[in-house]
Amino acid sequence: MRAIRVIALSTLREALRDKILYLFLGFAVLLLASSKLFGILTVGDQTKIIKDMGLAGIQLFLMLIAVMMSVLLISREIDSRTVYYILAKPVRRWQFLVGKYVGLLATVLVNLVLMSAILVVLVWLYGGGVDPRLLIATAMIGVEMAVLVAFATLFSVLTKPILGSIFTLSVFVVGHVSQDLWLLTRHLPESVGRTVVSALYYVVPNLERFNLKTEVVHGLPIPPEAIVWALVYGIFFTILVLTLACLRFGTRDLQ
Amino acid sequence: MPEIELRIVSLRKTFHPGLFERPVEVLRGLDLEVFKGEIFGFLGPNGAGKTTTIKAVTGLVIPDSGEITIGGLPHDAMAAKRRIGFMAENPYLYQHLSGREYLRFSADLLEVAPSEIDDRVAAVLDQVSMGGRGDQTMRTYSKGMLQRIALAQALLGSPQLLILDEPMSGLDPIGRRDVRDLILEQHERGVTVFFSSHIIPDVETICDRVATVIGGRVHGVGAVRDLLAREVESYEITFTGLDPSALRTPVESAHRGSDAAWVRVAADRRDDVIRELAEAGARMMSLTPVRSTLEDLLMSLYEEGGAS
Repeated sequence: MRAIRVIALSTLREALRDKILYLFLGFAVLLLASSKLFGILTVGDQTKIIKDMGLAGIQLFLMLIAVMMSVLLISREIDSRTVYYILAKPVRRWQFLVGKYVGLLATVLVNLVLMSAILVVLVWLYGGGVDPRLLIATAMIGVEMAVLVAFATLFSVLTKPILGSIFTLSVFVVGHVSQDLWLLTRHLPESVGRTVVSALYYVVPNLERFNLKTEVVHGLPIPPEAIVWALVYGIFFTILVLTLACLRFGTRDLQ
Repeated sequence: MPEIELRIVSLRKTFHPGLFERPVEVLRGLDLEVFKGEIFGFLGPNGAGKTTTIKAVTGLVIPDSGEITIGGLPHDAMAAKRRIGFMAENPYLYQHLSGREYLRFSADLLEVAPSEIDDRVAAVLDQVSMGGRGDQTMRTYSKGMLQRIALAQALLGSPQLLILDEPMSGLDPIGRRDVRDLILEQHERGVTVFFSSHIIPDVETICDRVATVIGGRVHGVGAVRDLLAREVESYEITFTGLDPSALRTPVESAHRGSDAAWVRVAADRRDDVIRELAEAGARMMSLTPVRSTLEDLLMSLYEEGGAS
């Protein structure tokens, strides 16, 4: 456990020294500017717009951080061979990878907390009060990012950084149209295309399970069992994908 | 029989670079034994398999077959890894950290007790003469300074087996002397040192034994003088009372000075020259075997390897 903790803290520190928090500042500025703009253009409850844009913005910015940092930091460690000195010490390969994963997820979560705080304050300033459901929605974005960072970790040990980023981005996009894929398979004739679409549906997680934007923005009820199932689903996929990453990394030659 | 610290048996490794490239067989049944407490040099030309062997021992490359034990333990056991201090050919370090921060991180991974980390780090920084520069970011370090920090992280865990891949490469003469002194210091403490190098004089000076590796196999193992003793190829003979040009036996080179003459002959022609000198009534002053240097030995191995 000590090795995982040490590697995770080092990864978090490296990400923060890479000035990743500037993205958070970018988010804050963008959210303030767009809420002002839409405040002028919209008639009615401005807080709905702020919540909607804020949650979408958090998701987008965190996805960018997850895709860029995860693939970059792990590949950099392997390509620049700093991993040599770690793995020659009493550290197992899976401990290294899990440590990197935890550090990267921590980086994403630090940003999530800061961005969520900005959003909550902004909603409160516009008279929307403090909405705890908003925090549940941002927490679910955190779970989605846990799954996405696991995929980024897997791709970073399988392929080159650019391809890894593209694949992770693809998981994000396909994961959000997963339900449509399912509908598509029901309308496609028996063919190779249908088999591919249905394989995609089963392999890529349905990331819409973590999306509570509609419920929060429109004040709809959030069933507790939906949250529990989404959590179980997220944990299952994270463990599965991380296990695959560790298995692959465990047999890889470091040259 | 001395105790064995590192044993490698029939190590094989083939790399598969890609779909359209031919596999590269780097290690072809390499066998090696390094005794406890000795300084062991690992020599060979580029591509002979030295670095791959070292990477296999440290767990960075996974061998296709063969066995590696460290202190009698399988090399991938955590207890075996705790015995090792490793320094790679080039210092691959986190440039965004200071030397001290990096060593603290390394000490943590080596499971040094938290209360002892700062003292231990300060001690190894002093050992590698980096005490005054430890708080600078490593991206400001010269190659020699990075090499020293890499060496410091190898010493942090008080290893029983120090594995150094080309530790002197890229260092200036002072840096090389410091590394050599450090190796000798560790040797005096009873640490086994296993290192590869291209700097032949250093190997000749400090190694108890060396192994020459060529084409993925060990070609010869032994004390430096034993390896070289087999390689006596010629003799230098000094004599008076005869002009060297009068010798019927072919010589490699000859020189006539004011007092005496000097010839160099192939080892298998030594007796012919001695007989001729006796027949001509000349007086032999000296007979000196010309031993090849380690460099000569490596060059001949390289030529053999290139031919195979």
